[in-house]
Amino acid sequence: MVEPTTLDSQVSLEDVAPDSQETEESLGGGQRFRRRLFRNRVAMTAGGFLLLLIAVSLIAPWLTSHDPNQATNFADFHEPAFSEYLLGTDAVGRDIYTRILFGGRYALGAGLIATGLALAIGIPLGLTIGYFRGWADRIIMRFVETVVAIPAVVLAIAIIAAVGSGLVNAMIAIGLVYSMIITRLTRAQVFAAREELYVDGAIAAGANSNRIMFRHILPNIAPALIVQTTLLFAQAVLAEAALSFLGLGASPDQASWGRMLDNARTNINTTIWPAFPPGIAIFATVVSFNVLGDGLRDAFGREARGGRIGIGDVEKAKQTDSNTPDSSALVSVRDLSVRFPRPGTTDDITVVSNVNFDIAPGEIMALVGESGSGKSISALSLLGMVPDPGRAAASAIMLEGQELTDLDFDELRSIRGKKIGLISQEPMAALNPAHTVGRQIIEPIRYHYGTSHADARKKALELMRKVGIPNPENRIDSYPHQFSGGMAQRVVIAMALSCEPSLLIADEPTTALDVTVQGQVLDVIGDLSRELGVAVLLITHDLGVVADLASRVAVMYAGEIVETGKLTDVFHNPQHPYTEGLIKAIPRNESRLGTLPTIDGVVPPPWEWPVGCHFAPRCPYATDDCRRGPVDLTPSGLSITRCIRASELQLAGVGADRLEIGATPAPASSEEGAE
Amino acid sequence: MLRLFFTRLLAVIPLMFFVGTVVFFLVQLNPVDPTAALLGDDASLESIAQKRAELGLDKPLVTQYTTWLGSAIKGDLGNSWFTGEAVTAELARRARVTFSVVFGSLLIAIALGVSLGVVAAVKSGRWQDRLVTVVSSLGIAVPNFWLALVLAAVFAVQLGWFPAIWTKARTESVGGWLFTILLPCIALGMASSAAIARQTRSAMIGVLQQDYIRTALSKGLPVRRVITAHALRNAAIPVVSLVGFQLSALIGGAIFVEFIFNLPGLGTAGVDSVLRKNTPVTLGFVMITTFVVVLANILLDMAYAWLNPKVRKN
Repeated sequence: MVEPTTLDSQVSLEDVAPDSQETEESLGGGQRFRRRLFRNRVAMTAGGFLLLLIAVSLIAPWLTSHDPNQATNFADFHEPAFSEYLLGTDAVGRDIYTRILFGGRYALGAGLIATGLALAIGIPLGLTIGYFRGWADRIIMRFVETVVAIPAVVLAIAIIAAVGSGLVNAMIAIGLVYSMIITRLTRAQVFAAREELYVDGAIAAGANSNRIMFRHILPNIAPALIVQTTLLFAQAVLAEAALSFLGLGASPDQASWGRMLDNARTNINTTIWPAFPPGIAIFATVVSFNVLGDGLRDAFGREARGGRIGIGDVEKAKQTDSNTPDSSALVSVRDLSVRFPRPGTTDDITVVSNVNFDIAPGEIMALVGESGSGKSISALSLLGMVPDPGRAAASAIMLEGQELTDLDFDELRSIRGKKIGLISQEPMAALNPAHTVGRQIIEPIRYHYGTSHADARKKALELMRKVGIPNPENRIDSYPHQFSGGMAQRVVIAMALSCEPSLLIADEPTTALDVTVQGQVLDVIGDLSRELGVAVLLITHDLGVVADLASRVAVMYAGEIVETGKLTDVFHNPQHPYTEGLIKAIPRNESRLGTLPTIDGVVPPPWEWPVGCHFAPRCPYATDDCRRGPVDLTPSGLSITRCIRASELQLAGVGADRLEIGATPAPASSEEGAE
Repeated sequence: MLRLFFTRLLAVIPLMFFVGTVVFFLVQLNPVDPTAALLGDDASLESIAQKRAELGLDKPLVTQYTTWLGSAIKGDLGNSWFTGEAVTAELARRARVTFSVVFGSLLIAIALGVSLGVVAAVKSGRWQDRLVTVVSSLGIAVPNFWLALVLAAVFAVQLGWFPAIWTKARTESVGGWLFTILLPCIALGMASSAAIARQTRSAMIGVLQQDYIRTALSKGLPVRRVITAHALRNAAIPVVSLVGFQLSALIGGAIFVEFIFNLPGLGTAGVDSVLRKNTPVTLGFVMITTFVVVLANILLDMAYAWLNPKVRKN
């Protein structure tokens, strides 16, 4: 079940994304499970078919007037279908329809024996070795791993060699083989469950081992077992047919589907028809069990998200008013808006609207706001990487005089990496675990400039030295997992700078890092920006990060820029109540003030954004006028703001007693130094 | 890497000993008397006793076991009780047939499965994805012996495009050989293709959501390179584990396909030996199969380590 429209988690837009799980989380686990399962029409159809099969198998004698093993009339061999006989007759005149009905009994019975035995052996064994571990676990698992590697049919044949052929013997053999699979699964699940707190709780409460295993652990690992059992049942039905086909399973007087296929095989030169009914019966049964198993897994598990390379470029939109791009800026964005289709409806929701900003060459500009404000997605629009199914449009995105709107994927490739480098939030996730860091830094250099491998490697070493990676010669052939978070982020910075871009987009570059290295990484970005003259679009939710790096700041709230100006102006004289809230939330003064002030509430999902001022529901200064209609950006004080009360409000900025902008080190490192 | 290979290979020796021993004693439980089948129902008691002495069946079980083990260590698995041919020679001849079919179907399964899986993942949610998902869900449930039966009936018996009977002469040229094993390979490889397609699709979908794919795109790489060098390389890790399982399933499934296409492979010999209690052949069959599966799994583990740098050190 892939939700038709899920916003991608990568863009930290989850909060904007309507998450169906949110609402389902409030339902009970069982209720959620049933709702998801019942909504899965394919799984329900499969389940219905299986119920029908069970019913038909039980009442088979009442559904036919023929005998499954005796010809009604010996002269009627190889009769065609839809004659006197619904599905025709086989080579000795037995009614195929009747044999199919009775065959269901053998298929289901065989599946019950095999999976029943597998569960009876596998669950207690897996629980025990998984719970107690130790040498018994090691020896048994060694054995289990070996047995699981050997073809099940070969093992079954070896066991049948000992116990003799026959349907029950064959399914006991299959059950023994499958018990290894159940043992392994149960043990792995118990290992995971033991780490969970509920087991500790039960031990602390004085429960004995048996009780913990069967009362506490088993119910929690049941979903995985139920899914696996359903899939094994399908395999058992196949195995029964296969072994009977070879003559090792059902005897000739048992109308098993596998036996029917064997009969069909011996007469294949005369007619092929008798091979179809049993083949289709096996196929339909196996498909149904598989589909039901998949449906159960989906219903138990989290919903899968779509995963195509889903990025979109930016369409050209009509210019509003005389909103012309600034040709002297490095980057000039006008009228940027992003829309997503709303799940379950045909409507679009606008998550970013009327965004305008300019970045001068070499300038560091900060885009600040809480998660869900639309800042990441606005930045990704510059790269033409709006996550699917989002649609972005802008009247202008100018980069060094080049218009980027309406360029397609391939045209934008010469911008990505070459003109604009991207630094993302989680360095470990941003680096490909399968390639060395050197290879990943070299790749864009070779790709964009056709540089020789040796030269690109030299350049990569130089970049690694520049971003402060010690001994780059020893580190260049290492894999990402061999780096610490801070060092990995330096690799990502080196990679983003590898083609000497004129703009870096740094999307929350320190959020995922240890507090101790956050300051260092910010310093690297600031220093290199100055040294190389690279402009930086710094995206963050933390105004503290912005303080000593950026020269200009744009504050975003709920898809709109609410205030923009020079950093000092915005910090000292905020014009928008949201900016004031963000300034209060800088964690600098927490030791002095006792508690960390926060803005009440969170950014609401886009479909709850009001017509009037988007911030009004959370604003301590809001009046009825604020809620009346959309608010425009207007100059106020030294910055531009989207607040109708800007001129009358006296908002608290960063006072002289609190910090001197640009003079102090980054907050994180100053905290470090103080303690 | 090479050292890892040889240490793993050494560990196979106790395993083979274990498997051989277990199967040897397991087979003794089989109530069938091979001498009756060898000499016919009206054989005299003397001739039966003589035959039993000839096969060494009159000796105590432990002596039979040590005799078998002694020669097995030297690479002699005894002679077939029915044909008198050396088991190693017979199984080596038959292994050629079985493993070309298994290898051929594995190639089909990987080529078809991986490409379909990649297409479905890249086009996730669109018609290509839905088509692959439906076809692979159905394909995984088609019994290989049924497919083999239908293919044999239609293309070999009715249309006569492919040989229905295995002949030595036909298989002497490479082309003739490929032609002979094509239908068996398709029949055997189909379910595995479907399984690999499903696994590839879900692995690719997982990988395509990773940040490093966005990073690769942000570098300005073309989609083809992002998919092959960045996504598929990582998605291949779970697919390789699945290929291990599939290989095992294919070796098991080969028994049926050989049976239907009348190929003189290992499986037919194995099943026949069980039904007639031809103990030396049964033992040889189980041991060769085990050895090949374990060897293949070692190779796959190495491929796994090559693909996943995180496990390389361990």
